[in-house]
Amino acid sequence: MSPSKRRPYTSPHAVTASWTALTDDRVVRIVVDAAGGDNAPDEIVRGALEASGPQSHVIFVGDEPRVRALLPADAQNVSVVHASEVIGYDEEPATAARAKTGSSIVVGLKLVHAGEADAFVSAGNTGAVVAASVLYVRRTPGVKRPAICTIMPAMPAPVAFLDVGANAEVRAEFLRQFAIMGQAFAREVMGIAEPSIGLLSIGEEPSKGTPDVIEAHQLIAADERIAHFYGNIEGRDIMNRLVDVIVTDGFTGNVGLKTIEGSAKAILGALRATIMLNPLTKFGGLLLQKDLQTLKDALNPEEFGGALLVGMNAPVVIAHGNSRARGIAQAVRMGRRGAVSDLLPTIARELGTSGTAV
Amino acid sequence: MTREEVFEHVKGILVETLSVDEDKVTMDARFQEDLETDSLDLVELVMTMEEKFGIKITDEEAAQIKTVGDAVDFVMTRVDA
Repeated sequence: MSPSKRRPYTSPHAVTASWTALTDDRVVRIVVDAAGGDNAPDEIVRGALEASGPQSHVIFVGDEPRVRALLPADAQNVSVVHASEVIGYDEEPATAARAKTGSSIVVGLKLVHAGEADAFVSAGNTGAVVAASVLYVRRTPGVKRPAICTIMPAMPAPVAFLDVGANAEVRAEFLRQFAIMGQAFAREVMGIAEPSIGLLSIGEEPSKGTPDVIEAHQLIAADERIAHFYGNIEGRDIMNRLVDVIVTDGFTGNVGLKTIEGSAKAILGALRATIMLNPLTKFGGLLLQKDLQTLKDALNPEEFGGALLVGMNAPVVIAHGNSRARGIAQAVRMGRRGAVSDLLPTIARELGTSGTAV
Repeated sequence: MTREEVFEHVKGILVETLSVDEDKVTMDARFQEDLETDSLDLVELVMTMEEKFGIKITDEEAAQIKTVGDAVDFVMTRVDA
């Protein structure tokens, strides 16, 4: 295809094909929180079943009778562990994670910690998943703060974006670690051999930004573990994919992510309304139907599964609270990818205690 | 266990588990202000102490622990009991 004929974006199916492909025969046991999320347990069970297989065993944790009622009689590669409690969206994360030891999140993460499972997926209370992961799975030695790293729709191909919500407040040193973990994520999970890293700020000059961002710029630029530091990028550069990995604090990242998701939805809605204006525009829409669907998929966060909580001793996948079956299936595949890839060993090696001394 | 031994254990938890700078850990160091730990760090510290010393620390008791010295003194009252 000549460059002029090339799509301005990559089909998400082509993007996720690389990390959902079964590259080996390893059996991975993935715990799925059947009680977490707006559409639990129906959509959660449906999505996880879709992604389960001989190489991906799914262990549902939640209200056992309810989950069992949703499973086909001949369900293979699936088991259920009962959890009587649920951590709600309004509960204080650290307190709930410590107190509610019978909750689906805590029971599930304890299975991972005990070595009875290899990855954890939840669409429940994000803060509680982060807190419980820190308390029961533990962070990788040397990691000061774990970060939520997501694959975000961008043109022409998606980017890695972190932190999108684990740490509202950060210090410069945390941002430096996020850059190292984001680089490992782009390489090992997304398959980008030489990822470039950008630090989100309010101007390209190194002197722009909050004191922590200015200091982080200096730390990242001087760090030999980061191979391609582009420098500061601005909000408008996120979707243009100026860089492969975007580093920011969890507050800014969460606002940025949701702004982009909302904008994409609004623009697609306006596009749809434009197509439906009159018979002529409808005819034009009909001609574009297939390509518009691919564009819609390329902008749909569910296509990229959940976000990975990087910096932990095991892969923890945080799916959108409103995930439907497709999003959960992709999140389960992300969990598998997190377990079979070299992401965790890479982070452990680069941020290991010997690597943090400066 | 002597007070010094308990201090070394607590220091070990802070350095290894919470990645706190070793030099900053003194008896007088305040968790939030001096060691820059957040609420989740404190819960992690409390749970690790429970595991390490085989004790129980309630939320109310944990809320009273403000400095490294407070944590050491708390453990001393429990392991001796």
